[in-house]
Amino acid sequence: MFHNSSQRKYWIFSSEDEVEQMRYKANQKFRNKIAESGKPGVSESTFLERHEEDVLFRHYERRLLDFCNAFKPVMPKSVVGTAIMYFRRFYLSNSIMEYHPRIIMLTCAYLSCKVDEFNVSSTQFVGNLLQESPAGQERVLEQILEYELLLIQQLNFHLVVHNPYRPMEGLLIDLKTRYPTLENPESLRKSADDFLTQAAMTDAGLLFPPSQIALTAILNSASRASLSMESYLTECLGLKGDKETLSKMYDSMRRMKTLLKKYELPKAEEVNVYKQKLERIHAEFSTSSNKRKRGYEEDGHVAKEPRITEEEWTDEDLV
Amino acid sequence: MDDQGCPRCKTTKYRNPSLKLMVNVCGHTLCENCVDMLFVRGSGNCVQCDTPLRKSNFRVQLFEDPTVDKEVEIRKKVLKIYNKRDVDFSSLREYNDYLEQLEDIVYNLTNNIDVENTKLRMEQYQRENRDIIQRNKAKLTREQEELEELLLLEQQGNEQRRLDVLQEEQRQLQAKRKNKQALLDELEKSQLPATILLAQHKVRAAQLETQIEQQKQAVKPTNLFSTGIHMRQTVSLQPVPKIEEVLYHYKPLHVEIDGPPVPELEQLGRLGYLNHVRAAMPQDTAGGYTSALACHRAIQDAFVKRSL
Repeated sequence: MFHNSSQRKYWIFSSEDEVEQMRYKANQKFRNKIAESGKPGVSESTFLERHEEDVLFRHYERRLLDFCNAFKPVMPKSVVGTAIMYFRRFYLSNSIMEYHPRIIMLTCAYLSCKVDEFNVSSTQFVGNLLQESPAGQERVLEQILEYELLLIQQLNFHLVVHNPYRPMEGLLIDLKTRYPTLENPESLRKSADDFLTQAAMTDAGLLFPPSQIALTAILNSASRASLSMESYLTECLGLKGDKETLSKMYDSMRRMKTLLKKYELPKAEEVNVYKQKLERIHAEFSTSSNKRKRGYEEDGHVAKEPRITEEEWTDEDLV
Repeated sequence: MDDQGCPRCKTTKYRNPSLKLMVNVCGHTLCENCVDMLFVRGSGNCVQCDTPLRKSNFRVQLFEDPTVDKEVEIRKKVLKIYNKRDVDFSSLREYNDYLEQLEDIVYNLTNNIDVENTKLRMEQYQRENRDIIQRNKAKLTREQEELEELLLLEQQGNEQRRLDVLQEEQRQLQAKRKNKQALLDELEKSQLPATILLAQHKVRAAQLETQIEQQKQAVKPTNLFSTGIHMRQTVSLQPVPKIEEVLYHYKPLHVEIDGPPVPELEQLGRLGYLNHVRAAMPQDTAGGYTSALACHRAIQDAFVKRSL
């Protein structure tokens, strides 16, 4: 259950500032690492700033969402939600400059299929990358498998993610059973769903428990349809006398709605400029992208042939 | 199967699958022919790494990867010196530390890291623990001897049984032959008509058969269990120490709820929640699934404690 889950203990933060602080630290860490390695010809302008990183992050998050929505067989919502959450958590403690998002995003999707018991074989998974030839898909698969363990490690092995979809279902069931004042709760479902998808693209999952997000979604869609659900809150949820909890709840809902409003789609020209910068950074500083555990082959003993060097695949190769 | 060739003559391995690869202390392989050719004088240098080697150090390769063979050899040598056992240590932690030391040494020697230091460490250890090493060596040989004795006994028992069975068969064959011979003799000599004689013969043959059957079923009485304990011998073992532990009490899961209490699984149907949940299909109920389970979980998730 959520209340004794690792998500609640380790991955819920108290404020947006704390989250921003973590991302800033990750950015700094990468800069210091490069500065220490003493590569010549590196100036401050080659690195990405925080807001540039944000734009790229949102861009790749959107691509992840599109990839998951175009996935065959149809991916359940919880798998998509888990993948996006992994992506977000990974880049809390790592910088985009260090690990390129396009690989990490596919690794997140792959891992979340496994964790959520949505059985897709690896060949089927890379088969969804329609722009690639089968050989290219193989290469992508190898890269995914390389980064999988790193991803799990950076998630601190906390792989279970509680998404708000099930609490939303629960609330709808409860509404239908105990709140006959509202005639057709099903009408709320669509806009609540949209709210939840939008919330997944913000930091809401890192700040609020999923049941809170679900409740906000339902109340929001009710107010959009101009239906009043105040009495539900006070009567059915037993909060009639508890002014404090009620006000706290309203407060969190307001914060969440602000978060959603602040979200803006990344603009294409900005994205392209920053992407160029990112590619340059990766070309220069990419350290161990092709190193793999080789076991006994460390000392150059008589070994098997070295693997065929992989050509880098670009963004256009994705959906 | 064989993706490595001999690094020197390259083709010969594919052409001749029965040819063996030999490994030696530097971890590089050579096929038998090349070994003979290069080390005709008994010593020479390795083809790939130029370390001085002796022909006697070549061993037939058992593993596909020559480094594994190298490690196996090194391990054998190291274990001759580091032969302490778990009873020699006072705590599990010490034993594990010792094992880790051992693995470090083997790793260093296999990958040619810090060889000098490692060898020095080994010699030092050897000097310090000389008597323990001796004692363990002696113990090891004693154990091996006992094992071999047991094996020998077992083999002898098997042989004995085999001979017994053979002899039985011989006897049976002879009895049958005698019977037939007797029939022929009687046919010659006796005055009775042939049919009666044949009938008599058949009866005797049947009797012989039943006798053989009975013998096969008669189990030779033994007085030894297979572990060597005599039957009907009371063996007094050490009493098993009784471990008293706290009894486990089941505490049902306590889920903290923000909001109205979530009804129990059983009451969900009565309260009308189940009308709004997709009913379970017959395939699902076979596994024990009821729609109440999904419903209960959804509601619990919705009302789980929100504040942190």
